[in-house]
Amino acid sequence: MFKEIAKGMAFTLKQMLSKPITLQWPEEQKPSPPRHRGRHILHRYDNGLEKCIGCELCAAACPVGCIYVGSAENDPAHPVSPGERYAERYEINLMRCIYCGYCAEACPTEAITLGPRYELADYRRERLVATKEDLLEAWPGFEKSLADNPRGAGADQREQAGRAPGVSPRVAWEDREGAVGQAGRGSPAAGQEGLAPHVPTVATPPKRNPG
Amino acid sequence: MTAAPPPGDGQVGLVIDGREVRVPKGTLLLDAASEVGIHIPIYCAHPKMDPVAVCRMCLVQVEKLPKLQPACATVVSEGMVVDTQSDATAKAREGMLEFLLLNHPLDCPVCDRGGECDLQDFAFRYGPDTSRFPITEKVHFDKAVPLSDKIELDQERCILCWRCVRYYDEITGEKEIVLQQRGVHTAVATFDGQPLRSDYQGNLPEICPVGALTHRQYRFKARPWDLIRTKGVCPECSYGCNVFVDSRDFEVKRFASRDNPMVDDMWLCDRGRYSATSWNSTSRLRRPLVRDAAGGVRDVGVADAVKEAARRLLAVSERGGGEVIGVLGSPDCTNEEAWLLQRLAREVLRTPHIDHQLAEMLRLGPAEHALGIAEIESCTAVVVLGPEPEVNAPVLTLRLHKAATKRGVAVHRVAANAEPRDITARVGDARLVGVVADETNRARAAAVASALAGGGTAVKRMTVTRGGNGRGVKDMGLLPDLAPGYRPAVPAGMGGRAILESATSGSIQALLLLHAGGVLAGLGALVESALRIAKVVVVIDTKPGVLADAATVLIPGHSLMEKQGSVTNLEGRVQRIRAALPPATSVPSELRVLSMLAGALGAEGWGSGDLMEVHRALAADVPAYAAAGNGGRARWEVAAA
Repeated sequence: MFKEIAKGMAFTLKQMLSKPITLQWPEEQKPSPPRHRGRHILHRYDNGLEKCIGCELCAAACPVGCIYVGSAENDPAHPVSPGERYAERYEINLMRCIYCGYCAEACPTEAITLGPRYELADYRRERLVATKEDLLEAWPGFEKSLADNPRGAGADQREQAGRAPGVSPRVAWEDREGAVGQAGRGSPAAGQEGLAPHVPTVATPPKRNPG
Repeated sequence: MTAAPPPGDGQVGLVIDGREVRVPKGTLLLDAASEVGIHIPIYCAHPKMDPVAVCRMCLVQVEKLPKLQPACATVVSEGMVVDTQSDATAKAREGMLEFLLLNHPLDCPVCDRGGECDLQDFAFRYGPDTSRFPITEKVHFDKAVPLSDKIELDQERCILCWRCVRYYDEITGEKEIVLQQRGVHTAVATFDGQPLRSDYQGNLPEICPVGALTHRQYRFKARPWDLIRTKGVCPECSYGCNVFVDSRDFEVKRFASRDNPMVDDMWLCDRGRYSATSWNSTSRLRRPLVRDAAGGVRDVGVADAVKEAARRLLAVSERGGGEVIGVLGSPDCTNEEAWLLQRLAREVLRTPHIDHQLAEMLRLGPAEHALGIAEIESCTAVVVLGPEPEVNAPVLTLRLHKAATKRGVAVHRVAANAEPRDITARVGDARLVGVVADETNRARAAAVASALAGGGTAVKRMTVTRGGNGRGVKDMGLLPDLAPGYRPAVPAGMGGRAILESATSGSIQALLLLHAGGVLAGLGALVESALRIAKVVVVIDTKPGVLADAATVLIPGHSLMEKQGSVTNLEGRVQRIRAALPPATSVPSELRVLSMLAGALGAEGWGSGDLMEVHRALAADVPAYAAAGNGGRARWEVAAA
C-alpha cells in the first residue's frame, strides 16, 4: 500500500515541479493558427491604396447580412482605391457575423480576409459594429506597427505576406511566433491607437479598486 | 411534326421547340416564342423599336433553312419548325458571347449594371466556360466618358447593339448618338463630341443591355440587390408615368421605368427621373407646433395640435360663420386627401371657399380630358396648342413622335393663340382630331375644339394639368364651384387667389392649408400678408418655409414617397401609389389627422381615417372612380361642354 501512495505522491511532486501549461490570458497572448477566422481585416496595396472597391459582393455573399457597404466614386486626384469606385462606408456587425469567411471568398480583390483576432467582447453593442476605420490596415508605417504590436494591424499584414507565392503559411506562422516572443506584449505604436480602438491589446491587467 | 393547315383567319401556325403556336401573320419569331414562354436571348432587339438584327445573339435554327436565322428579324411563316435549343443554336450563342466578351473589361464588381446586366445573365446561362482569348491581350478603351452631365459612357463595356442610336432615331427623333469608326475601334459617340442635349437621356442607361451607359446621378449609389422596389407614379407632372421607386437605407436612389403602354410606353423624361433624389431632403417638418397670439411657440403632441386647431377654427366660425374660413389644398395631395379635405370644408367647417391653386379654373368639365394618352395614336390629326403642354408633360412629346412616325398621325404644333379658323384649315379633312392644350389655355382649346367640331369632325380634348395630381384634386372637387365628380357646388365659393386677397382684407379670418407650400411658393407679398393678417393659420405640410413660419397650428405631413393612396393623371387614369420610404415624422397620415380634426370639430361618423375606408367612401361618392379601380381611367359621361 505504501508503494502505491509513494507512487502517487511522486507523480504529484513531479507535476508540482513542472512548468504549468495554463496561459495567463489576457496578460499572455497566444497566437492564433494561420487560418484562424477572427475579426476581419481590410487590406491595402503596397502603395497604401485600399484594395476594397466597394463592390458589395461580400455583403451579397454574407449569409447573415452583417456587412454594409456604401460606395462612392474616386476623385482621380486623390484616389482611395485603384479604379473608379471605392467603399465610402464599410461596416461589419461583429455580433451578427458567424465568421464563415464567405466574404473573403467572394472578394474579387482579396481586400477582406478574416484575421487572427478573437478578443471581441465589449461592454457596448454599438462598439461591436466595426467601421471601415476599425477594419483597415494601418497606414502609413505598418512595418513599425508590426514590430511594436504583433497582434495589431501589422500582424495581419504579415499573414497576408504568408499568402504570397513562395512563402508557405507555415513559415509565416513560425515567423510570427518569433515576433511574439521578441516584442512580447508591447503597447500599440504611437499614433496607431485610433486604428483599432475597440479591440485593444491588453498590456497590463486592469487594476481593481484603484486608490 | 407539322403544323395545322392554314385557316383563313390571318393567323399563322408554327412549331417552336415542339410546341405549336398560332400567332397573327407578320409576327416576329422572337415574339411568337415569348408568346409560349420560350426565352431567346437578345441584345439589339427591343420591344419598342424596329429590329436590326446586328447582335446575332438571337440566332435560332429553322428547319429547311441552311443557316441560323435571327429570331428578332424573322417573320413567322406557316408550318415553320423552329429549334431554339439545338446544338447549332447553343454553339452559335457560345460563339457570340465569346466574341462579345473578347474585349469586355470584366469589371462587373465596379459596374453599376452588375446584377441586372443582360451580358452577365446570358454569359452565365448560355456562354462558354472559358475564353480562348487570353485576358492579358484585351484591347482597352476609354472609361467613364461623359456624354453629358447626366450620362456616362464606358466604351469597353459597349457591345455595339445600336439600341441607343436607334432610341434617338426612332423614339425621340433627336438623332444625337452615332457609332463612329470601324471594326474593333467602333465606339458610341456624339457628333463632334458635343454633349447630349435631349430631355430624355435618362432612358439610355435603361435600354442599354450592358453597363456601357450609366446614370451620373446613380453612379455607385447601390447594387441592384440592395434596392427595395416600390411601384409608384412619378410625381413631377400630371402625365402619371409609372415608375419603380428604388430605395436603399430609407433614401430614394433612382426612379426606374415601369412600362405602362397606356401612359408612358416605358419612357421617362429627365425632369421626372432625376427628381428622385429630391425626396431625400432632410429639411423636413417633424413635430407639431402651436403658436400663441404673442408669438410664443409650443411643442405639442399631434392630438393637442389637432384639438388646438379645432378650437381656434371654431372660435372664428362661431363669430363669423363658416364663410370666414378658406381651405387650400394642392396638386401634391392624393385623391383621398383631397376628397377628405373638401368634405371637411363643406360638411364640417361649412365653408364654400376651397381651391387647390391660384389660377382660376371655373366651370371645368370632364370633356376637357376626354382624349386618352394612348388614343393619340388612333387620331387622324392632333393639334398641340403652344409649347406649354409638352413643357409641362415632357413624355407627351415621345407619344406624339410615335404617333407621327409609326401611326401616321398628322401632328400640328401651332401657336398657343392661333386662330381656330387657321387651325381648321390646316387640319383639313379628318376623322378624329385630338386637341392638346395646357390648362391655362382652356378657353382657346375650347374654341378650337368647337370650331373643328363645327366642321363635322369628331374632336377629343386633352388638357395638361399642373402639378402631380392636378387632375385628381379637380376630380375630387378641390374647386370653389365644383364638388367631387364635377357636380356643381352650391353655393359656389371663392378661388385660391380670392381667398388670399380676402384674408388680406380681413373677410377670411382662418386658413386651412394642406400641402399648399408648393402652390404658394414664390408669391411673396400676397401670401405673406394673408398669413400675417389671418387670425388662424392651420398648416399641414412637409417642408419648412413661409407657411410653416406663419402657421398658428403646424402639423407635419408625409411626402408623396411616404404615403399610400391614389393619384390621377391628366387623362383621368387613377393609379395607386405606395409608400417607398418610412415617414419622416411620427405624426400619423394626413387622412388620420383630417379625421381627427373633423372629430374635434364635433363631426360624427368620420371613422379613423383609414386609407381603404376613405377610398371606399370616395368611390361611393364618385362612381367613376369606383369603376376605374387601380390603373383604369375614370369615365365620365361627357356632356356637350
